[in-house]
Amino acid sequence: MSRIIPIAVGITVLAVCLFSLRPANSPWSSITVSPRLVSVQRFPENELCAFDDLASAAALPPDNLLRAPRSASAIARSLTVGSTSAYAASQNSGEVADISRPPVRTIRDTYPTYSFVSVDNQHDQVVLQDNNLWSIRVFNRLENTPPGAPPSVPKRIIQGPKTDIQFNNGMYIDPKNGDIYSVETDTGDKVVVFDRTKQGDVEPTRILRVPHRGFSLAVDEDKQELYVGVQYPPQVPVYRKTASGDEKPLRSLQGESTRLSDAHGVALDTKKKLMFVNNWGHVSDYLTAGTGRFEDASISVYPLDVRGDAAPLRVIQGPKTQLNWPAAMSLDPDTGDLYVANDVGQSILVFKETDEGNVAPSRVIKGTKTHLSYPTGVFVDAKNKEVWAANFGNATATVYPLSANGNVAPLRIIRSAPEGYEGLRLGKVEAVAYDTKREEYLVPN
Amino acid sequence: MTHPQIAAFARLAKENTPPTRTLIGQKTLISRTMHAFDYDPVHDEIVVNSPLAQAILIFRGGANGEEPPVRYIQGPHTQIVGTGYGALDAVTVDGVNNEIFLPVASNSVLVFDRTATGDVAPKRVLHGPDTQIQFPAPGDRGALPAVGVDPIHNLLIVPSRASLLIFDRNASGNTKPLRVISGPKTELGGGKPHVYAPKGWIVATAARGAIGVWSINDNGDVPPRWRIPVTKITGMNVNGVEIDPVHKEIMVPTGNGNTVFTFSVPEIFD
Repeated sequence: MSRIIPIAVGITVLAVCLFSLRPANSPWSSITVSPRLVSVQRFPENELCAFDDLASAAALPPDNLLRAPRSASAIARSLTVGSTSAYAASQNSGEVADISRPPVRTIRDTYPTYSFVSVDNQHDQVVLQDNNLWSIRVFNRLENTPPGAPPSVPKRIIQGPKTDIQFNNGMYIDPKNGDIYSVETDTGDKVVVFDRTKQGDVEPTRILRVPHRGFSLAVDEDKQELYVGVQYPPQVPVYRKTASGDEKPLRSLQGESTRLSDAHGVALDTKKKLMFVNNWGHVSDYLTAGTGRFEDASISVYPLDVRGDAAPLRVIQGPKTQLNWPAAMSLDPDTGDLYVANDVGQSILVFKETDEGNVAPSRVIKGTKTHLSYPTGVFVDAKNKEVWAANFGNATATVYPLSANGNVAPLRIIRSAPEGYEGLRLGKVEAVAYDTKREEYLVPN
Repeated sequence: MTHPQIAAFARLAKENTPPTRTLIGQKTLISRTMHAFDYDPVHDEIVVNSPLAQAILIFRGGANGEEPPVRYIQGPHTQIVGTGYGALDAVTVDGVNNEIFLPVASNSVLVFDRTATGDVAPKRVLHGPDTQIQFPAPGDRGALPAVGVDPIHNLLIVPSRASLLIFDRNASGNTKPLRVISGPKTELGGGKPHVYAPKGWIVATAARGAIGVWSINDNGDVPPRWRIPVTKITGMNVNGVEIDPVHKEIMVPTGNGNTVFTFSVPEIFD
């Protein structure tokens, strides 16, 4: 009996789902749906009846039609709304005809998309920024997801509307107290700071408003200054580390002479007083028409205390560099080696901090053994002599020996999706175009 | 944004279905903030802006991977300018009449020949106080809307604040709109309008997270003929809309959920 009941309920749920997807000219189109078996003529191409994961559905408003109607009777109740064809409203009446049917299909990724990684050496934890489900996930540093095993479970998750986490990217972990700093890359326009122990749907300890399109964070602990890499208009404002609210930056690097262009990663060498910024080469002055142009991707190097429209000390740029949508950067304070997450290059590039011009990286971590998949985050764990990558493409973080070079297997993998999963790599889906020839949706980030 | 790809998904793709192909990488010249773009079915091309570089990119329809555009429009003669906040985020192609329509931050709609390449001037510019076009200025905290084209009835639909301005498709200079849909009953949302020409419907975003359907012949303070209350149904916001008349569906991208919903709406297309 214990097996029969779930099967019967499952058949009933399936039948109700299929019934709801009948053609618009169905003879049942005007009757009220009830939870009963009906004849099924063909399986429709439209498969969605409700969210498959309860967490997403539960987060919807109480009157939402997709909100976790898991019981057959609940599903039946939800489908009575908007299940019939709606005729156009007469504009003379001033009324509007609502079409309230649920969507027939949904494209989305139900797993995390890791955009950034950092390590809390005080507490031996690794912190991952999830760009898809809007969360920060914390694991033990030595967590490893073996092949064939289910996804690893985080020690804690910071997630929910109170957190103000959206399309966050750059992170910084305070080496003394473990505070988590995270910058929002889209319309949030803010840096949020969480106490190390925070989890769940909690408000940030403090919020700092920063320019639109903030991408990366770096901190000079000696001077207690927070650097924010901003994509466009490209700039690097520098704040007091403990700044909050609408506090203005202490100084900012911005202007045509800087050669900043669609700026992304920022790394600091506080010993040698240098700042490194990488650029994608999309150039324009937004105040002046027709000033757009394209350049090769680059890494520009500045004095640590640079301000205003200042030229870089030197620039790494050219085809030998292999730079291809460079994202986060991290510097080994002991050697001065500069590690670059090279997104579309599917690699981690390592440059000497004295490099200049069209130079090849001194080391490249790349290849099928590495499990790298569109890496956008990189972090040098100097204490443990390891380098981490956050892989935007497959819901994993991978870690390698700091001296790794070539096609090397990771020491460990933290995986948050089924083995072999290929993520959708979506990020702020604001448009869709339909390719009628190939019957494909074209979806930009 | 972290990874500004253009991903292609099979029409029947569902949750966790990976893309069939993606346009990515330095060679593509694409960047973040691609908020409205087009597929041209007549010439099998993708027309999209490079929003941070004041450029219009044209790709093969089947472009894949690190494929460069077949041509692009950029330079001092183009008059292209976006906003600091919203950049140059929207473009529309009319494959029937071989034209590309680009709203820019100077309260103008630039029209380029579809085959133009390099540093070229627009073939005409719709601009002036009589047009009633009000777009954000370069320094404003706002984004430019996308326009819609009806190549059958020769109409250009321009969202401007809470209005839809309906022009003759060939309108140029300081030209008055033929009709204006505007007022509290309209529930207009300001997103890219699509025209389903056989029925003369304008499908566009509406207020309170909805998709609305108006007529190309509407004028004044008129409510939509239909409304799909997407946010009420799904809990997610609405960032645009696309139409698929063959399968009688509309697609709605929702930025806050990294999601594309497909709704079956045969009544609009029948």
